[in-house]
Amino acid sequence: MDRRSFLLGAGAAVAASSLDPAYGFEREGNRRILVFSGNQPVPILDPHQRYDWSTRMMQRCLYDALVRYDGTPPRVVPWLAERWETSADGKAWTFHLVGNAKFHNGDPLDAEAVRFSFERGLRLNKGISWMLSKHLKPGNTVALDARTVRFTLEQPYPDFLSFMPLWFITNPKQVMANQEGDDDGQKWLTTAEAGSGPFRIRRWDGQSVMSLEAVPDYWKGWPMAEADRPAGVIYRVMRESSPRKAALQRGEVDVAAGLTPDDIDQLGRMPGMTIADVPGAAPFAIMLNTQKGPTADVNLRKAIAYAFDYDALITIHKGAARLMDGPFPVVTEGRITLDMPRRNLELAKGYLAKTATPEGGIELEFLHIAGHEVQRQIGLVLLAALQPLGIKVNLVAQPWPTLVGRGASPETAAAMTAVYVTPVTTSPDTVASQYASSAAGQFRGIHHLRDAEIDRTVAEAAVELDEAKRADLYARIQCRVVELQPVIFCMTANQQWAMRGYVKGFQSQPLNLTGEVDLFPLYAARA
Amino acid sequence: MLRYLARRIAYVALMLAGLVLITFVISNVTPADPAALAAGPDATPEMVATMRREYGLDRPLPEQFLRYVGDLLQGRLGRSIQSGNEVMDDLSRYVPASLQLVLLAMGFACAVGVPLGILSAVRRHSLLDHGIRVLAVSGVALPAFWIALLLQLVLAVWMGWLPTGGQLSIAADPPPVITGMVLFDALLAGQWAIVGDAAAHSVLPAFVLSLPCLASVLRVNRAEMIEVLGSDHITAARAHGVVPRRVVGRLALKNAMLPTLAMIGLRFGWMLGSTVLVETVFDWPGIGLYAVNSAIASDFKPVMGVTLTIGLIFMLANLLVDLAYGWLDPRTRSA
Repeated sequence: MDRRSFLLGAGAAVAASSLDPAYGFEREGNRRILVFSGNQPVPILDPHQRYDWSTRMMQRCLYDALVRYDGTPPRVVPWLAERWETSADGKAWTFHLVGNAKFHNGDPLDAEAVRFSFERGLRLNKGISWMLSKHLKPGNTVALDARTVRFTLEQPYPDFLSFMPLWFITNPKQVMANQEGDDDGQKWLTTAEAGSGPFRIRRWDGQSVMSLEAVPDYWKGWPMAEADRPAGVIYRVMRESSPRKAALQRGEVDVAAGLTPDDIDQLGRMPGMTIADVPGAAPFAIMLNTQKGPTADVNLRKAIAYAFDYDALITIHKGAARLMDGPFPVVTEGRITLDMPRRNLELAKGYLAKTATPEGGIELEFLHIAGHEVQRQIGLVLLAALQPLGIKVNLVAQPWPTLVGRGASPETAAAMTAVYVTPVTTSPDTVASQYASSAAGQFRGIHHLRDAEIDRTVAEAAVELDEAKRADLYARIQCRVVELQPVIFCMTANQQWAMRGYVKGFQSQPLNLTGEVDLFPLYAARA
Repeated sequence: MLRYLARRIAYVALMLAGLVLITFVISNVTPADPAALAAGPDATPEMVATMRREYGLDRPLPEQFLRYVGDLLQGRLGRSIQSGNEVMDDLSRYVPASLQLVLLAMGFACAVGVPLGILSAVRRHSLLDHGIRVLAVSGVALPAFWIALLLQLVLAVWMGWLPTGGQLSIAADPPPVITGMVLFDALLAGQWAIVGDAAAHSVLPAFVLSLPCLASVLRVNRAEMIEVLGSDHITAARAHGVVPRRVVGRLALKNAMLPTLAMIGLRFGWMLGSTVLVETVFDWPGIGLYAVNSAIASDFKPVMGVTLTIGLIFMLANLLVDLAYGWLDPRTRSA
């Protein structure tokens, strides 16, 4: 490169960076590219290896499932399957596929692809496999013909359908063609895709930027007018909330998730900004160690529950939260409302009087996620609420992995641990199982509750086909859980996203995980 | 000199072995269970066991350590339990991004720090000197995280002059990989629009990263210049009528630069470690952000890989400085 061309080039570079900042509004031709920002990377894209909110959001863009959740309250609607039926004994589920679905490479999406995907999910024994591994054994998924697939379960399981939206279908030919050794294509599918969804990968760096391009002839069609269809979507990972807010203000991103209540409040007052504020379904709970220490006594757990200041939870969330009125999340089938403990110091003192420390004088550890401001504030509320009982609260902040690691055993679990317990489906079995002995040690079971009655009822309800009996069994479980108080049931915070005013098509869905958004119907309105 | 060299290399090997041991122990004493985390919140005990088996976490700790050391000797840093990727592959993608940032920051720190140090020494006790010293103290004292957020707010959000973060505009296609450093690759490929874009994205993170180094360069250079300017040979040169510009620029600076250069060498490894904060704020896809994401997920192999890489670079920089000193001043060889 000679001096003259270098200077010319440098001049062009300066002009390019100042006159046409490429970091402005993103577009391709005359179509816009929507930019979504959140804090969580997507290290593995394979739908059978992993799911969390950011991963599932990307998977939903690239893959399709037999059915999907729609509306509030969520209901299962047809997608790849146009209809389905179950056998009288509740063991056989038969799905009939649409005829026009195809993978991105043009291969038809048929019953064999469905069979392969479910078998692969079970075989890998990772990510989603826990949902069905107890009920669907390898070899029991059969492609009856090109458009019909049948699942034969080990025992009746009415919740089976509720998991179907999370099992995405991969193209067997592509997966097997990219197999390394006997890895079932795991390495390849970490950053590649073999799906049929509305988008395909344009550029992928799971740590920072994932750029997807729209599939113009998506088999299901697009929900917006053709002229409004975006050219693609980009998921940009921004670890900190403050830069995410700045990027939204700057117009570098169109939709941002995971902002603090204060940021949402400020952004909501800015012109050209919209806040999506929808009731969430992830309960915030303070799990009490039911096996070790003072909280092993149900009376102390009750005393804490009645001393806690629940109204403060709403204040912390600036009104964008609802107190829980039962132990099951709002989206869970079979949920009933119950008289839940509310602040009543007389009752609290009454329960405390029945414990080994009637005058208090004890210290309890409240463990929460480090850097989570809302949880810290809730800890402070707890600290103030238990003072009248003579109970000191020691607030301890730990990273999420440490918090989960400590909760694995009652010996190391804190007296009180703050967790959000996000429901992934409408299945009551999944939620009820959190209180069964088998859940002890998992993060949903940090309370380590062991109760024979709950164990028995959970097992009975899971296979009960009679809806009335099933509802009654789940009602009994919920009453028993409230009676034993392994958890202080707090609130479900609203799910909130901030977005530019021109972003249209946003659809709320309470079963979306944390910051997850369905990017398929989103588009930017033309000026 | 050869014996001195051998002794220094043996020290580096010893320190590296210590670093391997410490990072391994620290990674395994935390109560977090990487296999359970990678398997997901709803994983059954069988799923966690599968994960543990796949990554060798079901083996006794001494065996895991020996395997790790064996892998290291073969140039492997293990696999990330979060992504399944080889840590070495990940590092080969992320190290160049961090190197670009460090080189730009280092270049800026030297280009600004050395002249300011000279100016401050020549105009000693003047208002300008006091101003420059305040700048130097601020550069060291102000937390990088805070400065980063402040600059982001003012220059990116309020003024709209620069992007808030990232290495390139998100819709822009990166240049063909030559060095792995986007800015230099675009330059080599003659993609001028990308050069401008990459340069605009580099300004804020490189500036924030450079501040502590700039302050140190400035302070060391100032102190050395003051000492040299007061020495006999400078007084003699002045008495012989050598023009002040030549006295400062040629005679004094040449002698004052030696400690400054040594300090710059040592700062290189330190700067690579500082990328953790800067890359997190500016979402710069380098080893700092990689380490943060891995640490949050208790994915220890990448964290250990980053620690070892930075440690190795730091030690090599130290080694080079030691060797340079040993060569220049033979008395230090026996120390």
